[in-house]
Amino acid sequence: MTIVELSHVTKRFGDFTAVDDLSFALEKGSILGFLGPNGAGKTTTLRMMLGIFPPDAGRIRILGRDVSEVRERIGYLPEERGLYRRMRADAAIAYVATLKGMQRAPALARARVLLEDFGLGEFARVRIEGLSKGMAQKVQVLSAVVHDPEFVILDEPFSGLDPVNQSELEAFIRRLAGEGKTILFSTHTMQHAERLCDRVLVLAKGRKRFEGTLDEARALLPRRARLGAEADIGFLAHVPGVTHAAPPSPGQPFWTLDLKEGDDGRALLAACFERAVPLTHFDVSPPGLHEVFVSLVGEHSEAI
Amino acid sequence: MRHTFLIARQEFIKYVTRRGFLISVLMFPLWIMIVIFVPRWTGEGSAAHEHVFTVVDRSGGAFRDALYCAVERQYQQKKLESLAHYASANADMTKLARTAPRVAALLRDPDAPGAVAAFRALNVNGAPSAIASSAPGTLACAGDGEFAVRHALERTIRPNADVFFEPPTDLIYIAPPNYLEQASGPGFPAAVRRAFATEAAPGLDEAGPKLDTVIVIPRDFGQNGTNAAGYWSEGRPDSDFRDLVQTALARALQLRAIHAYAPHLTDTTILDANVSLQAHDPSHDGERSTPFDSIVPIALAIILFVVSVMNSSVLLQGVVEEKSTRMIEVLLSCATPREITSGKLIGVIAVALTTLVIWALVLFALMALASHDTATLVLVSLKAIASMDTLPFLLLFFLCGLLIYGSLFLAIGSMANSLADAQSLLGPSMLILMLPNLMIGAIMQNPNGPLASALTWVPIYTPFFMMLRIASHPPAWQLWGAVALALATTVAMILWTGRIFARHVLTTERPPSLGRLVRGLLRAPQS
Repeated sequence: MTIVELSHVTKRFGDFTAVDDLSFALEKGSILGFLGPNGAGKTTTLRMMLGIFPPDAGRIRILGRDVSEVRERIGYLPEERGLYRRMRADAAIAYVATLKGMQRAPALARARVLLEDFGLGEFARVRIEGLSKGMAQKVQVLSAVVHDPEFVILDEPFSGLDPVNQSELEAFIRRLAGEGKTILFSTHTMQHAERLCDRVLVLAKGRKRFEGTLDEARALLPRRARLGAEADIGFLAHVPGVTHAAPPSPGQPFWTLDLKEGDDGRALLAACFERAVPLTHFDVSPPGLHEVFVSLVGEHSEAI
Repeated sequence: MRHTFLIARQEFIKYVTRRGFLISVLMFPLWIMIVIFVPRWTGEGSAAHEHVFTVVDRSGGAFRDALYCAVERQYQQKKLESLAHYASANADMTKLARTAPRVAALLRDPDAPGAVAAFRALNVNGAPSAIASSAPGTLACAGDGEFAVRHALERTIRPNADVFFEPPTDLIYIAPPNYLEQASGPGFPAAVRRAFATEAAPGLDEAGPKLDTVIVIPRDFGQNGTNAAGYWSEGRPDSDFRDLVQTALARALQLRAIHAYAPHLTDTTILDANVSLQAHDPSHDGERSTPFDSIVPIALAIILFVVSVMNSSVLLQGVVEEKSTRMIEVLLSCATPREITSGKLIGVIAVALTTLVIWALVLFALMALASHDTATLVLVSLKAIASMDTLPFLLLFFLCGLLIYGSLFLAIGSMANSLADAQSLLGPSMLILMLPNLMIGAIMQNPNGPLASALTWVPIYTPFFMMLRIASHPPAWQLWGAVALALATTVAMILWTGRIFARHVLTTERPPSLGRLVRGLLRAPQS
């Protein structure tokens, strides 16, 4: 079931095109990583999906309807702490819930239950300004989901959280997806996207550069072999299937060899065996999302 | 509508739970009380300061008697007011009206024309007088109705009533010492200095207050055009006492001239002659105007400015804060810009009205501490305000003014990215908003004059100036025209603010120039 559908959406501010002919779709219960460098058009797209900006061209359908009709079924977490500093934690969560259609008393009760679940029960009556950045971020996340939305937009949800809290939040996001909620989150941190997302969408200069699964993203770049040896193994650059070889460098103690698509690196091992060169390290792995991202949004990359 | 209400409620709670709100709502009435009462408690603001004076009358003594008499008459007025105040707090006035109607009438309105004369007459045939004479050419201050009033009150006084104390004497006369009477020419200033240093009013256990004023009447005063008397005091003369001396001497000369032609007239007849002037307005079938008719609109106009600036600037700060924390995005993901701006404006109006109610309560509470008549005063005030036929217009203009000013501040807040940005926009706006306050004096001189009429048609000033003018009953076409203009301006400001808010609240660029802003407003809305 398609929850989100953008068709040829364009948004301009004067002469500047912030989002250019963007199309994608999101299925129920999926997690989409919305990636892109600063100024890529991520925030503008999110705002259009929230109904804050109307698109200049194209169409946005959320839950099969126009955004203005389903605002109350969308949850949103902004990048900064979008809370009133002087409000108490439970009241802050309940306020957003009431704006999303809940009655005040049940909203307050649900806010307290969520705070308890997140280990913040004793801070329910503490003002936001009295909470640590991590706690405030958790309160913010809870305010985005308190009204039980079907579609959740999270803008940099891990910002300001320590590794333990990041893991907790990752588990929470997976739980939301497990409950059938559809999640779109934008991030600059590729590790989170790699751990959480079913699919990623890379945006640069307002245009979509890539959309697909993580495996499809990794397949965009060749596999890479890393070899360690005391002897000079520069001869491996001439082995069939190797497209590029880089010697060790400060912080990188291994030789790095880019392989052609489909190559598994066995020829490298055979070449070393033939020349009786002992290896101290050998691994072949797909490229990381970070490398794919840099490759996609780099200056000379083209839309895929 | 639900979003608007929720946002209004949140805005209201957000502002009234701030410490600054509590301080500001308490500061204003306290400030007013300080301005009114501190000078009174310290004696600085009372009508008459204490003076010990003497009169060197080289013309024979008639003018000294006239001055003494003027001082005595003023004290009689003060005593009558004290008795009236005492009676209202401690006596059964209904019973008094039955048993002693003349006394009751006098005590109900001690400031009425002829009240002091009637007060004195109460006792003319009874108690002894300090200076018992009212023959032509002599003193017209004899007698004192205190005995008769107290006698009448005795039968109507409530149980456990306070004891009546005579008001203190502010002006004390002492006889001039010989060396002062005999001094003249270049040696007179030295004699006055000596008198100031050594002479004092008689005291009970120790010396009373020192002599501080010497009045000198020349030998030929009032003859051949010589009307200049001397007023000697250390430092700046007290203008009230100087006026009293000047008036008393002028009246003494007038009495002398009148007696030359009408020797049968008593001084009392002449000096007690007084009139009252009642204000009527033909546009209201000749009904009498009350002080509330003019005071309430002016007070509301000033309060409108104070409340608007106070609360609207908080609104502006709130929007800037919401932009910086991106709370505004959360709001925009739930409600439309128009719902948000409407909610914020309604919240500000609720805060303003709460402020007014708290101010009124605190003021009345403070007045209750300072006076026993607060309940009566509150009832009289509320009755007078409620009976004002201009009240609906006043409330309408007040709300329109509040919405116009609030919209302006909200628009500024949505264009600013920081408080520094807001300050730079706020400065010129405040100058524009303050202009009507600087014009209050000129407008009140001639509320229906050309200047007032012209300024009424400047849209953002219409509510303020109409509140000032409404007691003067401007022409009907101006009143209804101003109502239409104020409503139209309010609606336009709210719509434009919604448009500015939608266009600028999420941008991080510099605030737009005036030209770009106007072009943006005239363009069709984005959504």
